[in-house]
Amino acid sequence: MIQRVNPDLKKYLVKYGVQDWNECFHCGNCTAICPLTDQGFLFPRKAIRQVQMGLKTSLASNFDPWLCYYCGECSETCPRDANPGELMMSLRRYLTSVYDWTGFSKLFYTKKIWEFLTIIILFILVIASFVVWFPKEQIANFTTYIGDHSFLKVIEAGDLIMAAVVAFVLISNIFRMWYLTILKPKYKVPFIEYFRGIYVLPGVFASQISFRKCDTDGRLYWVNHLLLMTGYTLMFILVVVFLPKFQVSEVYNWYHWQRLLGYYATFGLLFGLSAMFIGRWRKKSEKFKFSHLSDWLFIIMLFLTTLTGILVHIFRLADMPYATYYLYIIHLAVLVPMICVEVPFSKWSHLAYRPFSIYFYYLKKAALSKQHKSKLAAAA
Amino acid sequence: MEETRIGLYVCWCGTNIAKMVDVENVAKEMESMPNVVVSKDYKYMCSDPGQDLIIKDIKEHNLNRVVVSACSPRIHELTFRKALENAGLNPYMFEMANIREHDSWVHTDREEATRKAKTLIAGALNRVRWHESLEKRTVDMNPATLIIGGGIAGISAALEIADSGKKVYLIEKSDKLGGHLLNVDLTYPYMYSAQEMIKPKIDRIENNPDIDIFLNTQIEDLTGYVGNFQTKISQDGAEKELKFGSIIVATGLRAFNPDSIKDYDYANFPNVITSVEFEAMLKSGKILTKEGKEPKNISIIHCVGSRNHDYHEYCSRTCCMTALKYSNQIRSALPDSHIYHAYADMRAFGKGCEELYTKTSGKDVIFLMYDQKNDLPKIKKASVKDKCEMLIELNEKLSGESVEVAADMVILMVAMESNDNAKTLGQTVGVSLCGNEFYIEKHPKLDPVATTTDGVYVVGSCQSPKDIPDSVSQARAAAARILAKINYGTVEVEVTTAVVNEELCCGCQTCVCVCPYTAISYDEEKNVSVVNEVLCKGCGTCGSACPTGAIKCRHYTDQQILSQIEGLLSKSLELQEV
Repeated sequence: MIQRVNPDLKKYLVKYGVQDWNECFHCGNCTAICPLTDQGFLFPRKAIRQVQMGLKTSLASNFDPWLCYYCGECSETCPRDANPGELMMSLRRYLTSVYDWTGFSKLFYTKKIWEFLTIIILFILVIASFVVWFPKEQIANFTTYIGDHSFLKVIEAGDLIMAAVVAFVLISNIFRMWYLTILKPKYKVPFIEYFRGIYVLPGVFASQISFRKCDTDGRLYWVNHLLLMTGYTLMFILVVVFLPKFQVSEVYNWYHWQRLLGYYATFGLLFGLSAMFIGRWRKKSEKFKFSHLSDWLFIIMLFLTTLTGILVHIFRLADMPYATYYLYIIHLAVLVPMICVEVPFSKWSHLAYRPFSIYFYYLKKAALSKQHKSKLAAAA
Repeated sequence: MEETRIGLYVCWCGTNIAKMVDVENVAKEMESMPNVVVSKDYKYMCSDPGQDLIIKDIKEHNLNRVVVSACSPRIHELTFRKALENAGLNPYMFEMANIREHDSWVHTDREEATRKAKTLIAGALNRVRWHESLEKRTVDMNPATLIIGGGIAGISAALEIADSGKKVYLIEKSDKLGGHLLNVDLTYPYMYSAQEMIKPKIDRIENNPDIDIFLNTQIEDLTGYVGNFQTKISQDGAEKELKFGSIIVATGLRAFNPDSIKDYDYANFPNVITSVEFEAMLKSGKILTKEGKEPKNISIIHCVGSRNHDYHEYCSRTCCMTALKYSNQIRSALPDSHIYHAYADMRAFGKGCEELYTKTSGKDVIFLMYDQKNDLPKIKKASVKDKCEMLIELNEKLSGESVEVAADMVILMVAMESNDNAKTLGQTVGVSLCGNEFYIEKHPKLDPVATTTDGVYVVGSCQSPKDIPDSVSQARAAAARILAKINYGTVEVEVTTAVVNEELCCGCQTCVCVCPYTAISYDEEKNVSVVNEVLCKGCGTCGSACPTGAIKCRHYTDQQILSQIEGLLSKSLELQEV
């Protein structure tokens, strides 16, 4: 298929953080140094070329950016300071908006005011709903127990609806990703491979094991990421899916499994977030040199959610119902916009796209190897 | 006749010769050859101590012939001749046996190579016996210079020579001075105005009494030799004769005609233009399509007619930078336009050129790489929905994608090629053409402006495609060479020339026909051939063609050559018997 060269795409991509594309003269050092480069997957050079030429279709079908964990070796090696690693990061933002059919992702990334507005509106809505509907006389014996108050029952229902909507958006976007990266470019994946490939997903999601290849030179990105990711996922499952089991009336012993899991998740979140925060603040490593607004929002909102969650826990143990109540409102007022905005439409969506890109990578390789074999057979 | 006393010197050339030839053994064995008085081996004969060794021996042993067996005479024959001269011997009483290029470098069997060295030396020893003293000759130098071509190269050379008070005849075939630079707007990489550079120079030339300008002028013929040339020129039909001592050929180039490249369809698309036409557009100050509209999409196709086996194999050297210059000028004139380059390689080798490339790539210019050898871009008519006039299809090499580029104007960066009359003019002034039809220089590295004809120099783009600084440097280099010769006042001419024995000559004129330097003429009165010893290069063609043996080539007499062969063969036989 012949694509039209589009000089204006780059100007649009600037909003996602793409810069320095001009510097690249395609020496290929970035591809050579990348610990994850594989036969036929020669990133990041190929993606840079697609940006330079403005090949929209090729970019949309390119899931290489998701395979990259941004160790920064390429940017360090680049003789032209073209920052290929940051280009891959920016392309992940762009691809998020390409997959998202609702258009919110594009809106939030390209017009920052809308992201702020949405967060503030949701923040106010949560607080207002408490002010309006929560019975004032019950604040004095507030314990976060779902069964205590009819209003908290509403929150539980709202929580499940939110989870369903977020899941729907993410899953439909993953189907679009599949359409754009596998179906549309006409990779003929043998049907059986779809099933064979499924075993890849859970293991990869849990461990992100290929990230370990990027930990050369004594870097600990994988450990940081693992703590943050498992902590977040655990907490996400606990509060979104098992909310009634989590916010119960009695206080368990500290060694109860539920409290232990909660503490692990909290530790993981705090450790991972601090490492990211310090990294972005000091800007010493390539990975953290450039921070898009969405990167900071992600850290700040998650940090606020974690902090208020810890305080709610402490006040509740100390039997301080008023403090518990107000902190709980703030906790929800930060948590809700974070989940509604960040998970399906912004940085958090990588928790879905990354493991699926590895699945599609497996499928694409299977298709290419079949194509290669049939070519060899035809030649013979 | 005095006794022949030969000194033989065998060079080690470090290990170059010594590792494959047993030089000590050679020197020892060859000492017993007839007339050899001393035979020595030494690490580096060409070094000062090596030469001193020869000079000392000549004086001590009263030597009158010397043979050095070392490298090629092309490298050090002159060195050793000089040494002989310093010792008071005639420099032609010397012979070299090449045991490096002809022996140690090309063989792998040490024993065989040693035997070959002895054979070669035996030949040289036999030859040198018949060497004769030859005397150097000089002729007076005419201080005037003829410059053919009034472009930037010719103009620079003319000013350089005339500024030192010497006469210059500047010949231009068109009706004005300035050459191609008259049609150029700005120059890369510093964006100087071409007109501001060339106009003051033309003014200076026109006001210099030492420069005679001949416009609309052609050269009819040329006779003579270095220091004493004469030519007939025709100016607007009127003939004139000029006399001068040196010639600078600065005839420049012409632009390649892209009609023959089918993929570009230059003849049928009105908005596919050559770089020459675009340059004129820039000079006029307006970038407009043939319909009079400002183009939104401008594509520049590189290497049109260059670096392709179907057209010209060579690189035209200036087009890449000119194309970058266009990008900058287009960007200033049309800030919102899209600029695309379809290129094969970006060659930015000159001073300030890489910087221009970096600067230009920051101006939102898209570079698309195509396969110059096998897969040229194709220009097609666009349809209405494409919202542009033409589409360029190409397989982009760096991405591996097939792409199309919108275009309202396409600029073809056409190659530089030699002028159509380059061959005729070359024959007239005695300069040959290289494979690409450009004039060939004496040595591509060590003598880039001289030619094999003494006193004739080639400068600028008639020698190969060149930019302005390179043309000017060559022009001024040639001027310096000529001024040095004028300053010396006389020129040395070849002594190893042919001589006719008038008693043996039958007047058949075979030699006149075969001489490549037109150095032999026929004297009707005496019915003999006459050699002009200044023109003769001593190539020997006449000597071998002469049916009566009347022509002798100095330093290459029959006797010298035959005795060398005899020496080679007898030694070779002798060594085989052993």
